[in-house]
Amino acid sequence: MAANEVLLPQAPPIDVHEPSQSKPSPLRIPGLFPGRVVELSDGRSIVGNRVSQPIVSQMLERGMKELTGEPTCRGAWAKFAAPGDVVGIKINPSGAPACCSSPEIVREIIKGLESAGVPARNIIVFDRFAYEIDIGSYQTLLPRGIDVVGVQDSKLDSSGYDVSVYCQASFFGEWETRSYMASLVTQKLTKIINVPTMKDHSASGVTGCLKNLGYGTFSNVARSHQAPYSFTDPLIGIMCSVEPLRSKAVLHIMDGTRQVWHGGPLTQVQEFIYPAGLLLVGTDPVAMDTIELEAIEKKRRQERAPSVWERNPASITTNGEEFYHNPSKNLFYRQPGHIAAAGKLGLGISDLQRIDHRQISLG
Amino acid sequence: MEKINNSSGTSEPLTAENDWATLLYDNTRSGRQGVRALPAPVRARWQTRMGGSVRSAPVLRDGILYVASVPGILHAISVETGRVKWEFRAAGQIHSTPSLSANRIFFGCDNGKVYAVDCESGTKVWEASTQAEVWASPVIRHGHVFFGSADGHMYAIEVKTGNARWKQSLDGRIYSTAYAAEKTIYVGSGSGSVCALDAGSGTIVWSTPTGNGIDSSPALAGNTLLIGSEDFFFYALDVSTGAVKWKYETGLGIASSPAVSGELAVVGSKDGFLYAWEITSGELRWKTRAGQVITAPPVIGESVVYIQTEGTLALDNASGKIMWRAGVGSSVQAAPIISGKSIYIASNDGEVYALE
Repeated sequence: MAANEVLLPQAPPIDVHEPSQSKPSPLRIPGLFPGRVVELSDGRSIVGNRVSQPIVSQMLERGMKELTGEPTCRGAWAKFAAPGDVVGIKINPSGAPACCSSPEIVREIIKGLESAGVPARNIIVFDRFAYEIDIGSYQTLLPRGIDVVGVQDSKLDSSGYDVSVYCQASFFGEWETRSYMASLVTQKLTKIINVPTMKDHSASGVTGCLKNLGYGTFSNVARSHQAPYSFTDPLIGIMCSVEPLRSKAVLHIMDGTRQVWHGGPLTQVQEFIYPAGLLLVGTDPVAMDTIELEAIEKKRRQERAPSVWERNPASITTNGEEFYHNPSKNLFYRQPGHIAAAGKLGLGISDLQRIDHRQISLG
Repeated sequence: MEKINNSSGTSEPLTAENDWATLLYDNTRSGRQGVRALPAPVRARWQTRMGGSVRSAPVLRDGILYVASVPGILHAISVETGRVKWEFRAAGQIHSTPSLSANRIFFGCDNGKVYAVDCESGTKVWEASTQAEVWASPVIRHGHVFFGSADGHMYAIEVKTGNARWKQSLDGRIYSTAYAAEKTIYVGSGSGSVCALDAGSGTIVWSTPTGNGIDSSPALAGNTLLIGSEDFFFYALDVSTGAVKWKYETGLGIASSPAVSGELAVVGSKDGFLYAWEITSGELRWKTRAGQVITAPPVIGESVVYIQTEGTLALDNASGKIMWRAGVGSSVQAAPIISGKSIYIASNDGEVYALE
């Protein structure tokens, strides 16, 4: 530890309560292709801050074929979903409209699922917060017949959660010590396609597959970080390991067309939103987030911003305006170690040397 | 399709001075151009909790504020006291801004229905069904209720009976609130098209494509139809042909709906700026950063524009200069109502405020 680094507090024990009859699926995380990450890049995928529908269509098709080894798109999607499935597409609308899961990519995922025989009525696009979905205009922009669901309508609405599945811990002496899994996930969906964005995150270091899945499915998660400390490591990984979430999350498609390298997850400051033109496809969220972390770190180095591993007390600010406009400042000591911690829980591979990283440039 | 006889229909009575009968005041979508500029509010005359998030705009008539909360309850609230007079529980969530006509209030529901409720008793008069959620605000004209549904159809329903007169497919989901002119209905669709429909038959008169889906609701100024698109552009279309007269590119998508006053059209963009144009020329009069993201429609008063973003803002409508900003401590997506000396707003957290 460097002389100017702070000693961070240890996370408290976290208890997990899963349904007793839950039967793990063979597709459960890290899925059919542990350690494999297909990275598609195409500079034409974002032009004038707009996502190109035909270009992301080509990127996703190529990525699905490369991931699965299937010669057809339909065959690739059939690895993950069947006509009888009820498939949830877990978007990340936080940060909308500047940077969120692109409706254009979600449209392509819907097409892919339909090609595998999943009817529109069995496809549900969801996230926790209905008002963030509204800001992204997903309802308007997605095809007819697709349900778009916000698990909760306001910050205090707990009606959409299953009280029998939860993670329990007291991080900062908070009143409510449990985080419950969304009922939609425990009771209705049979498969989940996870569509995170590619962003730095003020508390967890980055927000990618793991954070979008765990913190986007359980209630009451903001309590895990209280400035300047964050217990997103290990809570994110633990949440992703809880059944039935772990079994149902069969595929991850990371939207890196835009990349937030500072101010995530909510920033609207275009200065820190970079048109990276990337799409990552895989079944191993740990491997994908490891690649994402490398990309964000690389961009921050290029911009002469400190690493997300920074532990210098001088980097911390309590001023939100300063944080949003100064990439040297942050609200928390970030916890990118949550990715490796998730790897230790068996959720995937975090060792870069062991990741099968397939980079494909399309234009 | 059965046709409506336009000539025998009755136009909606003019709204009384302090009333606010539908989205953006009245069917002209003016956003209440006659309203006086108010000073910054300094207190809440009352505050009432709705028991659930509110994402649609309230409406007001005869001293009663009507607020639809997301859990499916329409509340009638006395503007004097803030007390609830009656509540009507729908069989689904509500995101639609209600509209008032005669002694009835109309609103859409996530269960695909549009309800007509008696304003005095709070009892249901009729319900009409569609195949998906109705978030758009019903618009009443010539004895008919016009609205779009997420099932991709525009509907015309008889005000008296709730019977359907026609429906017309527009391909994409419809969240845009229609503009009902004398003989034509104008609306945007999730397919990206702006459409003009014959009010009597539902036949499509013209359709003009934009580059992405449309959340915004149109306004009409003379022979120009104004609307925003998620393709980042604000469009001014020829009302007879749908031809693009001019368009203006903002920094992100436009879900906000334009308000018009004389030669001025004002709309917010998700890029956080409020824009004001000369309607005839398309010349930008001013643009002002009002917040991080704007999705609510502005309200134009006499020399003032109000917009809801992070708090309520009042801007000078000649220069775009921010005159004051007032917050209520919780986020608000719905447009405010300006009536008399009060501003009424409903929040995402389910609080309704009477500010003055």
